[in-house]
This record gives sequence, C-alpha cells and structure tokens, in this order.
Amino acid sequence: MSTTIAAIGTALSNSGISIIRISGKDSLNIINKIFKSNSKLEPNHIIYGKIIDKGEIIDNVLVSYFKAPHSYTGEDVCEINCHGGTQITKDILEIVLENGASIAEPGEFSKRAFLNGKMDLSQAEAVINLINAKTRTESRIAAKNMEGDLSKKIKALREELVELMAHIEVSVDYPEYDYDEVEPTSIISLLDRKISEIQHILDTYDHGKYIKNGVNVAILGKPNVGKSSLLNNLANYEKAIVTDIPGTTRDIVEETINLGNIVLNISDTAGIRDTDDIIEKIGVEKSLKILDEVDLVLYLINGEEGISKEDFEILSKIENKGIKYIPVINKMDLTKKTILSTILKELEQNGIKKPVCISAQENDGIDNLKNEITKLFNVSDLDYSHELIITNERHKDLLKKSIEYLIDAKNEINLGQPIDIVSIYVKKCTKTLGEIIGADVTQDIISKIFEKFCLGK
Amino acid sequence: MSEYCLGDYDVVVIGAGHAGCEAALAAARMGKKTAAFVINLDTLANMPCNPSIGGTSKGHLVREIDALGGEMGKNADKTFIQSKMLNTSKGPAVHSLRVQSDRRMYHIEMKKTMEEQENLDVYQAEIVKILVENNKVVGVKTKIGATFNTKAVIVATGTYLKGKVIIGEVSYESGPDGVFPANDLSQSLLDLGIELRRFKTGTPARINAKTIDFSKMEEQFGDKEIVPFSFENEGKEEIVHKNQVSCYLTYTTEETHKIIRANLDRSPIYTDNKDMKLKSTGPRYCPSIEDKVVRFADKKRHQLFIEPLGEKTSEMYIQGMSSSLPEEVQIQMYRSVPGLENAKMMRPAYAIEYDCIDSTNLKLSLEYKGIDGLFFAGQVNGSSGYEEAAAQGIIAGINAVLKIDNKEPLILDRSEAYIGVLIDDLVTKGTNEPYRMMTSRAEYRLALRQDNADLRLTEKGYKVGLVSEEKYKKFVHKKDLIRMEIERIKATPIRPSTQVNELLESLGSSPLSTGCKLSDLLKRSELSYKSLAPIDKKRKDLPRSVAEEAEIQIKYEGYIKLQQEQIDEFKQLESKKLSPNIDYNEIKGLCLEARQKLNKQKPLSVGQASRISGVSPADISVLLIYLSQHNINK
Repeated sequence: MSTTIAAIGTALSNSGISIIRISGKDSLNIINKIFKSNSKLEPNHIIYGKIIDKGEIIDNVLVSYFKAPHSYTGEDVCEINCHGGTQITKDILEIVLENGASIAEPGEFSKRAFLNGKMDLSQAEAVINLINAKTRTESRIAAKNMEGDLSKKIKALREELVELMAHIEVSVDYPEYDYDEVEPTSIISLLDRKISEIQHILDTYDHGKYIKNGVNVAILGKPNVGKSSLLNNLANYEKAIVTDIPGTTRDIVEETINLGNIVLNISDTAGIRDTDDIIEKIGVEKSLKILDEVDLVLYLINGEEGISKEDFEILSKIENKGIKYIPVINKMDLTKKTILSTILKELEQNGIKKPVCISAQENDGIDNLKNEITKLFNVSDLDYSHELIITNERHKDLLKKSIEYLIDAKNEINLGQPIDIVSIYVKKCTKTLGEIIGADVTQDIISKIFEKFCLGK
Repeated sequence: MSEYCLGDYDVVVIGAGHAGCEAALAAARMGKKTAAFVINLDTLANMPCNPSIGGTSKGHLVREIDALGGEMGKNADKTFIQSKMLNTSKGPAVHSLRVQSDRRMYHIEMKKTMEEQENLDVYQAEIVKILVENNKVVGVKTKIGATFNTKAVIVATGTYLKGKVIIGEVSYESGPDGVFPANDLSQSLLDLGIELRRFKTGTPARINAKTIDFSKMEEQFGDKEIVPFSFENEGKEEIVHKNQVSCYLTYTTEETHKIIRANLDRSPIYTDNKDMKLKSTGPRYCPSIEDKVVRFADKKRHQLFIEPLGEKTSEMYIQGMSSSLPEEVQIQMYRSVPGLENAKMMRPAYAIEYDCIDSTNLKLSLEYKGIDGLFFAGQVNGSSGYEEAAAQGIIAGINAVLKIDNKEPLILDRSEAYIGVLIDDLVTKGTNEPYRMMTSRAEYRLALRQDNADLRLTEKGYKVGLVSEEKYKKFVHKKDLIRMEIERIKATPIRPSTQVNELLESLGSSPLSTGCKLSDLLKRSELSYKSLAPIDKKRKDLPRSVAEEAEIQIKYEGYIKLQQEQIDEFKQLESKKLSPNIDYNEIKGLCLEARQKLNKQKPLSVGQASRISGVSPADISVLLIYLSQHNINK
C-alpha cells in the first residue's frame, strides 16, 4: 500500500460534525502541512486547531492521530473532525487531496484494514453491510454517469489513446509488419492535444469552483505601482460589497468583490493592505510562492517609469506556470507615449500577453480590466452538467493523474527512450481514465490491435 | 475385443507434440516412470504450421521453458537454419528471439532426446479412453485394446481431437499434415463430464522452391551474431556464428484480392451455404487471407514471408496466406503474387477444426477440477502456437509429478513469467478463440524480459528437480558476476577529462562538467555499455549475457523499480488465499454473477478472483471481509 488515501467518513449532510479520514504513511505529513495547533499531535490524542489552506483558515477542527499499527486500518491514520456542512467538508477533503492523498475507493479503508490484519469479527459484520450499501449506490451513480457527458468525453479521449497504445503495441508484437510506424513527433502532438483536452475538463472543475467559491486574486507589482489604489478602485467602482470579516473562523481580512457573476477574493495574504512593496518585503522568491495559491494575478507595471528586469522575471514565471494573469499598465495619465510603446514592444518580445492600460487614480480603463477578467473566467461556456464534474473529487484526482502520466510519456520521448518505455506511461494514463468509466485496458488494446491492423499468418 | 494390461506408469502423456514432449520429458526427468503416446511416431514434435520457433513474447516463453529445465530452446538451437533477434530498436523488455527451424531435423532431434531419456517410453498408439475411478485417474486404453495403469494423465492432443480438415467445399476427418485424427477420445472426455468446444485454425500452402522466382522478392537475412535460445548454449561458437539460410518477402496484389473476392462464396467461412459453413471459432490474430481481404478491404497489398521448411527440402511456407478456399482457387491466388507466377503447390492450404476444452475448468496447476490426476496442456486448452503449448506442457508435467508426490503445485504468477500470464489468462479469464501470447498481455513486461528468464526461473526449476546441479552452479556463478559488475559500474567514478568529454561528444552526448559515476552515463539513452568501453579502464572481459544483464539493470533501473512497486501491490492480493471449499452462494453481499462465476472457477486467491470477468471491485471487498470473518487466512 504505497499511497495514502482519504475520504469523508461520515454521510455528506449538513449535520453538526463531519469526519475526514486519512490513512497511509503520509497521513501525518499531510496533517502537518494543513493543520496548525498550539498543542503537539501525539498518537491516540485528539487536539484542537485550525485547518489552514493558502494562508486562509478554513475551519476550526479537532484532529486525532492513530499510529500504525494501532489504528483502524493498521496504517498511520489521522481523522479531522470538522464542522458539518457539505461544502466545508468537501473543501477540507480537497485540501487533503491537494497535499498528497488520493481519494479512497469504496471499501478501501476496510480493505486495508483487512490486508493489515486489523479487522475483527464485529467490525467486519458492520462494515460488510455498509460497503454493500455504498457500492450499490456507487454503481448506480456510475451507471448514471455512463450516460452522461463526462463519460462520453472520457470515452472519446481514451479512444484515441487506446488507438495510440494499439499502434505502439502492434509495432512491438508484430515488428515485421508493414503498418505505419508511429513517429515520436506525432505521438507528442497527440499527447499535447490530450493533455489540453483533459486540462479543459479539469478547468470546468475549476470553473465550478469559481462559481461556488470565487476567484482568488493576487495583485502584484513593484512598490508604488498603485496596487492599493487598484484594489480600492475595483471595489469602489462596482460599489460592491467590500467586507472586512475578522470572524471567528477567519482571521484573515478578505476583500470580496462582485464582478458580474464572478466573485473575486482578494485576500490579504499578499500584504497589499499593510504594505505597498510586497516584492521588496518578502522577495521575488516568496512572492512567487503566492502564485501557487491564486487563480488570477493582476500584475501592475508602472507606466510612468517603464518596465524593469524584475517585472519581466516575475511575469515570465507567471507565464511559465500557466496561471491566469493580466499585465496591467497603471498610471496611464502620467505615461509618455514613447515609454508606453517601449513597454508594449518589450512585453511582446518576451512572449507576455497583451496588457490592459489603466489609470487607477483617474478611474480610467477599469472597465476594460473588468471585461478582461470576465473573459478569462467565462463561466457561461461550460458545456457539462455541474453535478457530474465539479462535485466529484475522484474524477478530478484521476484526471490530474492522467495528465501527469501523459507528461511523463512526453518526457520519455524527449529523453530518446524506446517506444515500449513510452507506452508504460500512456498505458497508465489509459488505465487511469478507464477507472473513471470502468474499462479494462489490456482487453481494449488487444481488441483494437485486431480491429485496426491486418496481421497473422 | 480383449483388454490386456501392458504396463504400469506414474505419468501417461497423450500426444507428443510440443506440449506432450515437454510434459513427458519433465515428468521423466523428475524421476517418474512416464509414457508418451502418439498416433504416429513420425509426427513427434511436428511443426504442421510455420517452420519457426519464437517471435515476440513466444521467444520469451521458450527462454522461460529453458530456464525451468525444458527442451524446446535446446532443440531449437540444434536445428535452426536462421536466427533473428526482433525488436532490437525498442526497449530490452520486448527484444524477442525467433528462429526458422529445419522442420524434419527438429522432429528428429526431439525424438532422439525422448527415446534416449531415462524413465521415458515413447509409444505409437491412439488412446481412446481415460480410465477414472472415484474421480481419480487410474489408466488409459489404446485403440487396439491395451491398457496402461497410471497415476496421472496429461492430455496434450493438440488439434487431433475429432480433427476435420476443410479445403473449400471439401472436408474430411483428419489430423494436421495428413495424419489420422483422434476420433474416439472426445467421447471418453464427454463421458467424464468434460465440456468440449470447437476451435479452428489454418495453414497456408507449401510451394516448391524451384518454381519460385526469388529475384522478385526481398531477401531477408538472419543476425550476424546469434543469441542462442538456451542459456546453456551461451557463447557457443558453433551457434553464435552458424551459417544461415534466407527468407523472402513479397506481397499480394490487387489481382490476388480480386480472385479471393470472386470466390468468397466458396469459402467455408464466408459462404451462405448452411451445410458448408463453419461454426467453429478461429483466431483473430491469425486470419486467413480471405479474412484479411474482407476485413481490410482498403489495404492494397498484404505482406507475405516465404520461409524454407528445411535445408534438405524444397518446400517453402507462404506465411501470410493461410486459406480454406478450394484448391483450384488457391492455385490462381498464389500465382497472382510476384515471384509465385509459376508456383507449384506441394501441399494446399487448409483449415482445421478440432475439439478443445473450456480452460476455465482447469486449476492453475493445469489439473482438471474434479478429476484427480487429469491434466491438460497445449492446444486442447484453447491456446495456439508451439511455444504456448510447450509452456503448458512443462508446467503440466511438473505438476503431475508434484501431485503424485503430494506436493504443492508449481504456479507461476503474472509477475514472474509469461508462462504465468498465459496460464492465468487461460484458466482465470478463459478464451473464446485460439489464444496467442503477446507482450501486450503482460502487465509487468519490464520485469519479464527474455534476457532475465534464467534469473526469474532457474531457481524454481532447480527446486522441483528439473535443473541439474551442474547447470544450477553455473547459474549461481552468472548471477554473482552480474551483481559484481553492477556494483562495479555504480562505484566507478568518471572525471570530466578531455578524453571523456571528447568521447561523449562523439557519441552525441553532453559533456561532463563535474564528476559522476559510470552508471550515471550508462543511464543516458544515447550511451551504451559497449560505447563507454574506452573510458571504462577496469572493465573485465565478461560473457556477453552478463554484460548485457548488468547494462539493462542499470539503464532501466528507474522503470524496473516502478514496475516492482506495481508488482508488490499485485502480490498483496495474490497472497490472500481462497479455499476451494468456499461456497460463494453463502456469502451475502456478492452479486449473483460473481457468486456463480466464483463457484464455477474456485479461484485460489483474491487476486485471481479479481481477474474473473463479472467479479467487481465491490465483490472483492466483500470477499476480503468474508475472509477475515472466517479467519481462513490465519
């Protein structure tokens, strides 16, 4: 059992308390990453503390820790007792998954418990009924999903990968036959296409998240470039809710700005409020860390002074990370034409996307910026039913893994590894996608070989 | 008809094809009094189809049989006339050895080995009945009335059971290559309650070489340096540099396809004529030429490989053109191929139908469930191919002996050998068509390489008594050499000297700026053990196989490790044993289909259960919990 698994251990409802169970050798590591407390977490103890994600307090919780082998599963187990409610429970599970756990299959805790010799008679009796109920429901849901858009998408996606596999396998199993050899370049372009298709599906998950939770925004830029002004301006412009919520569960002050049907969460983690020179304060490296936690970066460039090396450094890192961002040239009212055209030229040369020009002071160009943001998070182009995608962590987890395998496959090609090594990763991806729709990958490939290729004596 | 007893044996093998020979030799070599019965001694170890041993994944099987102490690899080494390592441009896991064999010599050498084998009698007789008392095998009976007492029977009847040859509208009772079929044994099996099914396969024509214009074909040569099949023959000069004959490549033409299309109604597969139409199942991977022309209608031409049947014959095998069309259509069809314009057939192509069993009625030991001491091996189990047959043969032979000795059977799992994949597929998943081994069927391909078959299996062969002390000692020595060479390569420092960097650049590899270990360089895909020789000063002169193994293990270390992790997970479920006495109907929570399938198949482990079609992950969870409730595993 190499992986660490997690799942919600209680029924998802708006009951008082929910439990998220984590089992596996990384359980404690994961807890240490997301849980802050004044007490030390000892085996067989339960302590009070906070779940913190991206610097934000998610919930006040009780966490217990059972050290292997003295736990339900016989592995290291941590349990998070959080406040009930569907959303908060799911959010915490999501955080646990993001920090290294995989979502547990139905009955997997019990399976591990059994495999580690931990199951006793009475427990087994109780669990057998539970699993039964659970898996029957699962299969009903699975059957429903089989009809659904997601399943159709995955099937189509997978079909081409299975074909690629069949192509690779046929060249391995029938080396002397005159089918067209698969060229590494065409494999790479296929893989790239699949990566972006899967990413697209994953994005819809994020879209769903944006609708529910809002878009986490960071405003970055050099000192005195006008970050606070922009923040205030954005907030005032829409005369939207600007709330300070120094609440009991949330210590961090958060600006929530309504922009049409999107909510922007501009959290103070970036320190915009306290200081205007975040980059100087925490350094380039650290400010880049913020990038891991946001959905959108508004990067301000001082139009009056022109663009600096540092600006480029950060902008290109943002670009490379694939985070959504908008370069914003501020202080247009003070910007000379020559400087502006230099900035625009330099941005273009460095492969940075087209900026939006504003003057936060003069309240100018904010409309454009707002449009840009709306365009980036256009939720109306969602073509899937929300239920299917955005609520299913298992699917998301599997899709993410699929992309990783495809990237691995690409890397192997670029390293010049032979095709059957590349196929290991393509096969893993196909298998992972197959888990979403419940298909047997080996059979599929072999059927495909005979369907597509003319072989034999 | 009088019945008379002609002898007592421990093990009786019915059939002496590739499965029967391995089974009989294994049993005899393990010290059991063994008899192999064959309808015609001149067909012992016959190759009624292509004159070739090995190929992708099949070559792996031969190496595994050899590592276990089997004969196929050694016999192939004695009698090959061309040898080729396939897939060398790909990774080491899929390198596969294939030879063209001298068909008659293969038979002669195998027959000689069998005849000279201590404890083994080879006898020409058709077995018509298997004698069973109290669900236990006690003997066999021949067509002329002789009985033989025995403790175990291995059925290795290939395509002989109720064999029927079909050529166009004509069909007649026959075994392969014009030999008598075994018409009576099927009834004996049915009487024992054994379910039979009907499979079909086919073979192309043999054409006289003097009527072939080879100048219109592409000549295909063997390897310059030959790797023997048998680990025992590693480095033997007479094999490594043996003279070889050529094969030839040509293609079908539009004309060929036209002839076939025009005569499809005369094909027993495509005809609408109910009386003529075949109902048996043929293999998808081995389609007849009419299959190919129908299913791949837009393909302009199909490859044909012309392979010699031996050095002292003019018969040539036309690989790629098996058919069941009428003889006169065949002649037209072959003559439409470049180089075959004046071809004269010596044997026409034909399809053959035969009885086989449902392999899911077997245990993983290849013993029939419900009849003690009755084993099945080879094509009668629904497989196809000489190598697949031989692989089952050696396992059935070993397990018949272990059974007699009241010992645990030898079962190779999917992570240990292609043989394990083959038998698990047949027994656990079952097959609806003649089953062919393929590398894509193996989940742990990277671990199951042909180069390391001895490392995987020699130990097991030695333990059951098939691998001699001498061979085993040699193996242990080789293993030590490999280990030491790997350690040496990992410990050898390489400094970024001018010589080193010049070599690296000449090999298209980036130069070093800091020192590293030799193993780090070896891991680069553009570098090899051989190409690094100039900067590896302390390298000793090692056998080719040792150097190759060390290179592969270092070069692919990361991937092999990854695969090992998957294997470890796989093994966990395999180690959860299920008793054959479990009544799955009593386990609440299993879905109905799973109960039925599990009761029928009685898997030995939870892992095996998980591969039965119709058994879902939810059912597996239920099984695991059931197991703990009953403490069966403790």
